[in-house]
Amino acid sequence: MSATATNPGMTSLGISGIGQISIIVHDTPRATAFYRDVLGLPVLFTAGNLAFFDCGGVRLMLGPASAPELDHPSSILYFRVPDIEAAHLRLVEMGVRIEAPPRLIAPMQTYDLWMVGFRDSEDNIMQLMSEVPRA
Amino acid sequence: MNPQEGTTLSRIGQIAINAHDVDRATAFYRDVLGLQHLFRAGQLSFFDCGGVRLMLDKAEKPEFDHPSSILYFQVGDIRAAHKRLKDAGAKFEDEPHVIAQMPKYDLWMTFFRDSEGNLLALMSEAPRPA
Repeated sequence: MSATATNPGMTSLGISGIGQISIIVHDTPRATAFYRDVLGLPVLFTAGNLAFFDCGGVRLMLGPASAPELDHPSSILYFRVPDIEAAHLRLVEMGVRIEAPPRLIAPMQTYDLWMVGFRDSEDNIMQLMSEVPRA
Repeated sequence: MNPQEGTTLSRIGQIAINAHDVDRATAFYRDVLGLQHLFRAGQLSFFDCGGVRLMLDKAEKPEFDHPSSILYFQVGDIRAAHKRLKDAGAKFEDEPHVIAQMPKYDLWMTFFRDSEGNLLALMSEAPRPA
């Protein structure tokens, strides 16, 4: 792999971005309700036991595992929010399981990076993240 | 539902990808996929993919030690990208194929493994002649 990988021509795959992320769920209607009503993401369409959402131009595909090998928790997705305290409060009000209160995870050069972890209806760990400009 | 101001989930800022060997995975995402490496912080390695940050990381707890979600990378020419990736040593599960016929385009996909055994995909929307 390394011999060809050093050729710059080999690396220009033309990847423009992430078009879709698959999230394994055990109950598609329950997960659809969570992503639509609790997280407030727009439903694009449903197809059988698949439900597709939009999150800022990236499509989320919720559906059951199509093979036992794929039946594992999702990657942690970090959702951007403008106001993490307000968003955290709203999740608490909606009965969402929070892992720990919002915390400053890294002071960057021009902003503080805040995060709070929570569980979706399928027990996947997700995070809210917010970049708070430093005065 | 009408989310209160400030609570809207605007977009995905970052995705965590489990790696068992962060150096090996960094080489794969940089040299094989050709993504832009942002920075390294200890056992964490960060990439940019069209404005979304990918964080390669060793699982901190046994609970997190599972394969990544399938990420579908958008490419312009899926056949060319498939060939290049294959030539670069990526292991493919299949050949590029039409997975769904949408009203205005055909959705093509092909699945492959990264250096850590995570299942990933290339996707491409090929416009259909009117």
